Amino acid sequence: MAQEENEPPVGLLAEEEIAAFIQHAGELEHPREMIIDLLRAIQNNRGWVPDAGVELTAAILGLTALEVEEVATFYDKIYRRPVGRYPIHICDSICCWSRGGEEIANHLLQKLGIEMGQTSSDGLFTLLPSCCLGGCGRAPGLMIGRQFHGQLTIERVDELIEQLRQEDCA
Amino acid sequence: MNREQLLFKNRRPGETVFLAGYRATGGYQSLQQALRDLTPEALRQRVKDSNLRGRGGAGFPTGVKWNFFPADQPGPKYLVCNCDEMEPGTYKDGELLLADPHQLVEGMILSAFALQTDIGYIFIRYAYAQQAENLRRAIVEATEAGFLGQNILGSGFNFELHLHSSAGRYILGEETALLNGLEGKRPNPRLKPPFPAVKGLFGRPTTVNNVETLANIQHIVSGGAEWFRALALTEEGSGTKLYGLSGHLNRTECFELPVGMPLRQLIEEFGAGVWRGRKFKACLPGGASTPYLTAEHLDVALDFDSLEAVGSRFGTAGVTVFDDRTCMVAATLNLIRFFARESCGWCTPCRDGLTMVRWLLETIETGQGTPEHLEMLKDQLQQISGNSFCALAEGAMGPVAGLLTHFEQEIIDHLEKGRCPFQ
Amino acid sequence: MPTLTIDNQQVTVAEGATVLEAAEQLGIIVPHFCYHKALGAVGACRMCAVTVVEGAQKGLQMSCLIPAEAGMRVTTGDPQSTSFRARVGEWLMLNHPHDCPVCDEGGECQLQEMTIASGHGIRRYAGKKRTYNNQQLGPFIVQEMNRCIQCYRCVRTYQDYCGGRDFGVLGSRDRVFFGRFQAGMLESDFSGNIVDACPTGVFTDKTYRFKSRYWDLQEAPSICPHCSLGCATIPGGRFRELQRVRSGINQKTNGYFICDRGRFGSGYVNHPERPRQLHSRGRELNLAEAVRWLDVQARELLEQQGPEAVLLLGSNRASLESNWLLQQWAIDLGCKVPLLSAHIPRHQAAQVAAFDFSDRLASLEQLRSSDLVVLFGADPLAEGPTLALALRQVVRAGGAVIVYDPRPLELPCEFDHQSLTPVQLHELLSAEKGPEIDRLCELLQRAAQPVLVGGGDLLGAGGLLKLKKLAKRVSNAERACLLLPLLGAANSFGAALLSPAEQDDLLTRLETGRVKMLVCLETDPLLEAPQGERFADALAKLDELVVFDYLPTPLSVHASLFLPTCAPLETVGTFVNNGGRMQRFAPVIEPGLPIAVTGDGDHPPREFLSATPGDEPRPAWQLLQWLMDDRRELSQLHGQMVAQLPRLDGLTELRPGDSGLRVRNADERSVIVEDLPEQPAGTLQLLVSPARYGSDLCSRFSAKLTPRFSPAILRLNPQDAAERELSAGDPVVLDCDLGSFKFCLQLSEQLAAGCALVENSGAFPHLVPGDRLSFCAVGAEVQL
Ligand SMILES: Cc1cc2nc3c(=O)[nH]c(=O)nc-3n(C[C@H](O)[C@H](O)[C@H](O)COP(=O)(O)O)c2cc1C
Ligand code: SF4
Ligand code: FES
Repeated sequence: MAQEENEPPVGLLAEEEIAAFIQHAGELEHPREMIIDLLRAIQNNRGWVPDAGVELTAAILGLTALEVEEVATFYDKIYRRPVGRYPIHICDSICCWSRGGEEIANHLLQKLGIEMGQTSSDGLFTLLPSCCLGGCGRAPGLMIGRQFHGQLTIERVDELIEQLRQEDCA
Repeated sequence: MNREQLLFKNRRPGETVFLAGYRATGGYQSLQQALRDLTPEALRQRVKDSNLRGRGGAGFPTGVKWNFFPADQPGPKYLVCNCDEMEPGTYKDGELLLADPHQLVEGMILSAFALQTDIGYIFIRYAYAQQAENLRRAIVEATEAGFLGQNILGSGFNFELHLHSSAGRYILGEETALLNGLEGKRPNPRLKPPFPAVKGLFGRPTTVNNVETLANIQHIVSGGAEWFRALALTEEGSGTKLYGLSGHLNRTECFELPVGMPLRQLIEEFGAGVWRGRKFKACLPGGASTPYLTAEHLDVALDFDSLEAVGSRFGTAGVTVFDDRTCMVAATLNLIRFFARESCGWCTPCRDGLTMVRWLLETIETGQGTPEHLEMLKDQLQQISGNSFCALAEGAMGPVAGLLTHFEQEIIDHLEKGRCPFQ
Repeated sequence: MPTLTIDNQQVTVAEGATVLEAAEQLGIIVPHFCYHKALGAVGACRMCAVTVVEGAQKGLQMSCLIPAEAGMRVTTGDPQSTSFRARVGEWLMLNHPHDCPVCDEGGECQLQEMTIASGHGIRRYAGKKRTYNNQQLGPFIVQEMNRCIQCYRCVRTYQDYCGGRDFGVLGSRDRVFFGRFQAGMLESDFSGNIVDACPTGVFTDKTYRFKSRYWDLQEAPSICPHCSLGCATIPGGRFRELQRVRSGINQKTNGYFICDRGRFGSGYVNHPERPRQLHSRGRELNLAEAVRWLDVQARELLEQQGPEAVLLLGSNRASLESNWLLQQWAIDLGCKVPLLSAHIPRHQAAQVAAFDFSDRLASLEQLRSSDLVVLFGADPLAEGPTLALALRQVVRAGGAVIVYDPRPLELPCEFDHQSLTPVQLHELLSAEKGPEIDRLCELLQRAAQPVLVGGGDLLGAGGLLKLKKLAKRVSNAERACLLLPLLGAANSFGAALLSPAEQDDLLTRLETGRVKMLVCLETDPLLEAPQGERFADALAKLDELVVFDYLPTPLSVHASLFLPTCAPLETVGTFVNNGGRMQRFAPVIEPGLPIAVTGDGDHPPREFLSATPGDEPRPAWQLLQWLMDDRRELSQLHGQMVAQLPRLDGLTELRPGDSGLRVRNADERSVIVEDLPEQPAGTLQLLVSPARYGSDLCSRFSAKLTPRFSPAILRLNPQDAAERELSAGDPVVLDCDLGSFKFCLQLSEQLAAGCALVENSGAFPHLVPGDRLSFCAVGAEVQL
């Protein structure tokens, strides 16, 4: 279902990781419960889950690619399309909204020159709208990778982006 | 007012307490005491007597729920901890696990003993990476200390605990959707009956409880049911509650306070008042799915029954406050956008009905609404409420109900002015 | 049996029935989408809301979910439920493209019907509609996702009921998508059922696209001719063209679903080379003259050369009526009793089914509710696909399926496979004692309703008789262990039932040279019987070869007199299925060249004729009646059949579309069974197995199924291959009594060692399934 560039299935999982997953699947009565773990492991290595990742997951768990895809496409934190090096989940739920989340989001869009769901031209950032991140007390907030940043201001966001750009150069 | 701290007693800013610190303040003593002195039935009875009500939102009495559970049935049975916590305005479980993960681990072992389940899962949301890390370490520590695993403290009781990290989506908080998610299936809610207590995870008896619910068990064991009930400020209430403050307040933090706190005191004393010197207009008292309270409710005690009496719900006690410059149509639209986006897509009232409601609110908010749209909105509220497959769409109607009950005039202003009066 | 009141009418329903079903019993149809009789209720669409006035749960309730209780009072037309259902109608239509005028479902769209029934008429939502990109799903099914209302019926049919694993639900919220991981042909052998299950125009029959509007279609209840299960179908056609087949409903057989072979295998009716005209080698005859000529000729031959000069051959494709009339004609002529099959081993197996099994035959309905089904030498997906679906329902309900078979089988459910060679299978079935038979007997004895399925082709008559012994052994006073044989064709049982206990062998008869005229009724032994080559030689000894048929078989080309007959879809008749169920089929279309052919796509046709082009085919039974100058109605004929053969009791009452009737039980009359032959050293047991598509002649002549045809395959167990120094992909030669055949070798671990398995449809016409056990050698092809 995903529209993706046809990338060769390299770097999905290391040989040892595959072996470990296969062994674990063999120990479980219901190996299917590992779907998310596998998809996430692939995503951690690869940044996202290409079709080959879905197929690899299926092969390890004795499922069909479709059966894995049915689950993978349900979750918004499994990326079935390529994302930038730093996917940014910006919270648009009520607490962040009430404390200026929309302005922060608009600022980011402008700064990165993209629309929601798109990746900046340098390939670094993908901006994704997200529901509540559990940082309601520190609103407005966003999550980069799995790191939450709260009490955002325009200045703080600029700093964050700058920091990541530099990290990328280094 | 007593400020007894049970769940947050080890909480220090920026710190996490692990095994040593946890034991230093009496951690795992309840477990030892229960395994030594209590039978599973006695423990279940004590929880029932404590009148602990579920902290996950629905407020169902935990002891009653446990009594449905076939604890004596042989074969695998499961205890599942619900740490999905994705309802906007709710972040208390996250705070608890940031501060003191062993609270949950001990609570789960005790609950598993009460229910005679030997396998437990903690289902944790994607965004709680640090919390998951804390739990992982706590599980290792507890296992090494002999609190988890085979023959716990020589009692003959076995319990293994697993952690499952999810990958997003609010619907996984719904307990049967959560079970499907754990099994690696599409997380649509399941048809009930059969209830999870009969046929839950992998088709076996299962109990699902919230983090905070489970963390309370050890305190009930050590302090007793009477003491626990007396902690609340209301007659019917029991225990303390984690209140997560958010929105237009000067201080938006999470506090452990007695059940039954008056809303005004919570806002003034703990939230340090409405921000920017503005006035209180409304709040969501217990997460995004609870109907608004307004200034007329400031003296209501925050508890299950008293909030139901005024047409709202205690929910998760995540209190989101709105100041007097907030457009309640816009706020409700934001909430509906959340629910519509998080719908699992199974049943029509939610999947398509919420789309319809979102469109109506958008039409009104952008000044294109007519009185007919207002009528349609009322009709949608009536038709969706109570008629969806699970409680998600039901919850989505909470704020719409609040909007129509308390702020209909604001909608009419939008219609008459042809624009949002707050812009 | 609770009694409740719905809309002021009282109704008593079965325990466990829902309010929806109770209302239906009263003739009140509560609109619904996600509920489907075969799939059950899931409560997703919320369309079936009613108001419970008195009952355990009061108020607006989903009628598909709440059980009917005694004393309950329900209304379906009150303002609360009608306004809610109207709202559900509106919600479901939010994103719908309103493309009814160009939609392929037009006229048979449940969405249309239910939307109107729900009371939703005028669109109020003016927001954006979500749209989808469609997927290519192969040659049989088209997808138009924008019409989807998310009732989940397709996926519940495809995955849950049929066990397909390559089609499902993707995405969530108001963007759920029903499709495959990637575009491509749906893999399931039951894929077409999603066309029937989908209430709107999302999944439609691609082979039927742009052919007819539903209201222009001629439909009639029919019986699938593609295997011996006798599933109910509803073929539809127009302008003499058979355009599609959909599933009929018969609880006793298929239930609600059919297989793709039955659904997409109807092309034989309109095969471009279908012989539609009489031909008679040099004689100028019209149909009436030809019939007269045939009768006169036959009588002359018999008179001059004795009763063996004319041999009549019936078949398992021909209807019960035609076969019976053939026997009547033989009496009339005074020739020997007709043979009702050219394939003796298959015929003997069918006779065991028709006589020895008759008191314990299971229906598919009984099989679906069994808790333990054991298959011996049966490959359901090839020999009776809907049986595979029934087995899946057994497993879904918690029952078990065990298969003893040499072949590497697939089933759409979990099963326990014991790989045994045919010889070992016979040994197991004859064993009094032994670990395997003891284990099996114990399981069978413990089961509440066990069923044994026997593949007639692989077990033969002898094996089936042993199976019956086993069934007796594990039966007890409370319940019998039932039997279900798989037979060669749609009317194998019927032909066997008419047949005397001993039947001559066609080839022996022909090879004596005493037969001067052979009359073949809807059969071609060149394709349908083993030893086609010998048969071809024997044909040379004949003076006259007369063929009645509707298929373009080689024999119909060679015939000295050919009489075109109607396909089962063009006439009325009766088939008896493998469970002994007599079922009537009705004519769907008239015989004749389809307009699409005569007009070369243009309309109207270029030539104006008073007669219909190509309308010469007549029902075989009618031609046979003419031969005897018999002008009686079929009903009278049926009466006479019952009078002669009380086992056919009920034949006169059968109606097309009803659930059919079981033939009466018969006394056992076990045929004499030859011992298994000795296996020569160094040989392999030869197994000829039908391919899933194209092994029965009707599907072989259905071009629509071409994408499903597979080349002939030879498989060996890797161990046997290694002994012969062969590996996968090697060009090999198989030598057997029937000749030498070349294959590209494939290996399979699951194939029992000691066997050579040929999966064949039409590629090697001489290798026909169901022949007696024989042996072969396999070796590398020697390059000259
Ligand atoms: C849409 C939806 C989301 C929910 N989310 C959560 C959640 O995040 N955490 C939680 O504990 N309960 C949640 N619940 C409630 C659970 O279904 C369940 O009632 C609860 O986990 C039971 O635990 P308790 O009795 O301890 O409260 C949710 C319910 C619904 C309908
Ligand atoms: S209300 Fe219906 S569509 Fe919404 S989340 Fe529940 S089951 Fe899914
Ligand atoms: S038919 Fe009852 S909810 Fe769909």
